[in-house]
Amino acid sequence: MTVALEPIIGRYTSFDIEGKRCRVYFEEAGSGIALVCLHTAGADNRQYQHLMNDPEITSRFRVIAFDMPWHGKSYPPAGFQDTEYRLSTALYVETIMSFCRALELERPVVMGCSIGGRITLQLAHLHSDKFRALIGIEAADHQEPWYDTSWLHRGDVHGGEVCAALVSGLVAPQSPEVHRHETLWQYMQGGPGIFKGDLYFYRVDSDLRGKLTGIRTDLCPLYLLTGEYDFSCTPEDTIRTAESIPGAKVTVMKECGHFPMSENPERFREYLLPVLKEIAG
Amino acid sequence: MTGSQTAAGAQLLQRFRARAVSFSKPRLFSADILLQFAEVPAIVRVRQGSVTEIIDHRVPLQSSDFSIKGTAQGWTKFWQAMPEAGWHDIFALNKRKEFVIEGNLQPLMAHLQYVKDLLACAREESA
Repeated sequence: MTVALEPIIGRYTSFDIEGKRCRVYFEEAGSGIALVCLHTAGADNRQYQHLMNDPEITSRFRVIAFDMPWHGKSYPPAGFQDTEYRLSTALYVETIMSFCRALELERPVVMGCSIGGRITLQLAHLHSDKFRALIGIEAADHQEPWYDTSWLHRGDVHGGEVCAALVSGLVAPQSPEVHRHETLWQYMQGGPGIFKGDLYFYRVDSDLRGKLTGIRTDLCPLYLLTGEYDFSCTPEDTIRTAESIPGAKVTVMKECGHFPMSENPERFREYLLPVLKEIAG
Repeated sequence: MTGSQTAAGAQLLQRFRARAVSFSKPRLFSADILLQFAEVPAIVRVRQGSVTEIIDHRVPLQSSDFSIKGTAQGWTKFWQAMPEAGWHDIFALNKRKEFVIEGNLQPLMAHLQYVKDLLACAREESA
């Protein structure tokens, strides 16, 4: 009998983030250029499992996706019960840099979606010498809020249900049902207040308009890919952002929403493969 | 109230009624939802997860829990089998000001996917 195992391997590693010990879960597959993947707000690394099961990608890239502390299988740091989770720009940058140091990754590619896309812009601004390339999915320097985040964490509304129902409209109608509902399930399983805490970064602490000067895309290429059905980070938001960054390359992805790697992996890879080919040289 | 908007709203309500009258999901949700199609309002009465009544005659001082009011264009595009980007979700429509969502939003948010599915039930069938 042959056991049909996927190539994805999951492990834990522990390191300090802003002075707090964090035990972080990550999954990886493949070998070659390190490609660190950042999940969306309130979700976890399952969003990248399709990439990790794609031999055309893993033959050239070591795809690594970690659960941020407080997300997925990464516990919050000790003492969390007496605090309110709030992701800041500084904490987010430090989390990514600490993870890359912990795994001794040398000039990895970082790809992130939504909040993960926004932070790639900040990484390009602050640390472009540390990365081989950056890929922002559903990324912009700013976007207009479309709901009050206090709905995400209150006693009379189920947090998981409302998070999933809110973002359900960000999934493109063409996305396969199975992947649509897997994506929404990730949101249903988030910890209480975590989506809201991530959105503190998105809504309050990371308006990057006018702050993205000096990005050297000649040293660290920057690719921005946004789904046409994303009405949260719209294609117009991404295009406006790219216009302020010389050399940034924008692709608008047809029939994709806010979670392309998770909601429609087949369609997403059509847009991602040329980018990865260019990065791999 | 313009005649063309009233006629368009009446048609949209008729289309919604045909599908919504049998809408039911296993959910402990009861509410009176005011929907407005162009200039034509209706109260959708939901009890224990089932639509029990759609009241389209105008009653003075009629109350509701929350309201969702949309333009004729908004509802029509929302109900396309494969809606265009930006017309595919009630919050996308709210953002582009084709829909207005008002009132006490707690019951809406507590049962958001139910309400989204109810409103989308009049969508055209895919070919």
